[in-house]
Amino acid sequence: MSLFTQSISPETLSVATLARIESQGGIDPFASPSHPPRVSAPSFRLPARAISAITLLALIALWWLAAQYKIVSPVFLPGPEAVFRKFITVARDGFVDATLFQHLLISLGRVFAALAATLLIGVPVGLLIGLSTVGRGVFDPLLEFLRPLPPLAYLPLVVIWFGIGEPSKVLVIGLAMLAPIALSTAAGVRAVNEERIRAARALGASRLRTVLHVTIPSALPQIFTGLRIALGAGWSTLVAAELVAATRGLGFMIQSAAQFLVTDVVLVGIFTIALVAFALEWAIRTLDRRLVPWSGRD
Amino acid sequence: MSLLELDHVSVRYQNAVRDAVADASLRLSSGDFLVLTGRSGCGKTTLLNVAAGFVSPSSGMARVDGQPIAAPGADRAVVFQSDALFPWASVRENVAFALRMKGVPRRERDRRADALLARVKLSGFGDKPVWELSGGMRQRVGLARALAAEPRFLLMDEPLGALDALTRERMQTLLLDIWAESGTGILMVTHGIEEALLLGTEVIVMTPNPDTGQQGRITRRIPVSFGRRYRAGEPVRAIRADPAFAAARAELADAIFEGELQ
Repeated sequence: MSLFTQSISPETLSVATLARIESQGGIDPFASPSHPPRVSAPSFRLPARAISAITLLALIALWWLAAQYKIVSPVFLPGPEAVFRKFITVARDGFVDATLFQHLLISLGRVFAALAATLLIGVPVGLLIGLSTVGRGVFDPLLEFLRPLPPLAYLPLVVIWFGIGEPSKVLVIGLAMLAPIALSTAAGVRAVNEERIRAARALGASRLRTVLHVTIPSALPQIFTGLRIALGAGWSTLVAAELVAATRGLGFMIQSAAQFLVTDVVLVGIFTIALVAFALEWAIRTLDRRLVPWSGRD
Repeated sequence: MSLLELDHVSVRYQNAVRDAVADASLRLSSGDFLVLTGRSGCGKTTLLNVAAGFVSPSSGMARVDGQPIAAPGADRAVVFQSDALFPWASVRENVAFALRMKGVPRRERDRRADALLARVKLSGFGDKPVWELSGGMRQRVGLARALAAEPRFLLMDEPLGALDALTRERMQTLLLDIWAESGTGILMVTHGIEEALLLGTEVIVMTPNPDTGQQGRITRRIPVSFGRRYRAGEPVRAIRADPAFAAARAELADAIFEGELQ
């Protein structure tokens, strides 16, 4: 299941945490009453992945039928082959002065610039919230204010304050990423094993060095979870960020295609965004396993 | 020679109605092996935390060589039941932590960490991540990590409590060997009656107030010499089989459960 969701509510965070716990095998064996212990002969069961694949194929088939028999006008819903052909065309020849790859690169650049900036701000803010009452008092209400705001709501204000240039686009994406990163970091800091802190202190570490050598590494798994949620939030803010005065980017491509009712390009853009989101999620999970292999085994 | 003193120490936690520990005094010198024991809730861990500097006494004084204990420090390294190892670091990096905090150069601290690992019989495990080790091995890493600080006192909070019986016996002799070699003063909390007798030079029994289940006091101090006999070369099995050991076990059990069985 993808964790890319627009709203970063506390529920989302805890779902992410649950997903982490679950993926590491810490599930209550009695939690699922639908699986009573049975000794009968093994019956034929499809794995979930196979069911997903069948669902996907069925949807594509429906889509193809709808287009083939003109149940929906091709202006509104071009068929799968048409979209695929358009995908090749946009990838090769481009749409509005740029190839699909160039649009993608610009969009990725914006999202990752925002991510870098947000990590630099969000992780220290999360540390302050987790470590000090003053930090929590100052930043908690600000983040709680920011967290539920839809990016489209503050986009106009960002444009009024910072103009229509590149910084505004990065800022809009970054604002969507800030709360998940800071709040996950804070949760990680608060979950630090107290005995590890005490052990470090009794081994001669000062308070500051205890934070550097124990608190931050302890919080890394949660920081990673925050990063994953943030990347999802930022990526889904892309279209909003590229609403104003963009000349390139996937979001811009979708919008300009929509204005001219080029539905196939709209679909190409949507699928590209979804595929990239999927790839990013996979990449972060892999990175997570590499960088925090102890998570859940300890 | 160093001396750790707890002088009429009482501890009351924030928002608590009663003291967790009431008026406890003890003296730990280099070469001593004090064992704190007693029923759950008697305040033995609290008292150890005062010695470590994790908890400040509400009244009374905690001192090392006459200086009040204000904070935790590397002169009083602590070994925890949960081992409290750092899972992001290798076994060697865990052991070398105190040396790194002291600013010992990399190569030197690796060398010293490997020597300590050999001493706790974990040669060759330096590069392993700690989460690949068994409970007994992790506890030995925790011990090596504390020893790396070259502490004047070693404080141990039920270090063997989570281990299986066989591993526990092996760890007991390892502790005796290390205590004999290092001459460090050890303060250890344990629930194990035989463990207390086998390891300690003095067993200190704490008992909670029977009415409140708190307000732990020191009710008995039993000098013991079985550990010294092991140091003199007598095998552990022979010591355990000695009728004097059985008598001491009965006496200690009586002291621990005093007030509860009546």
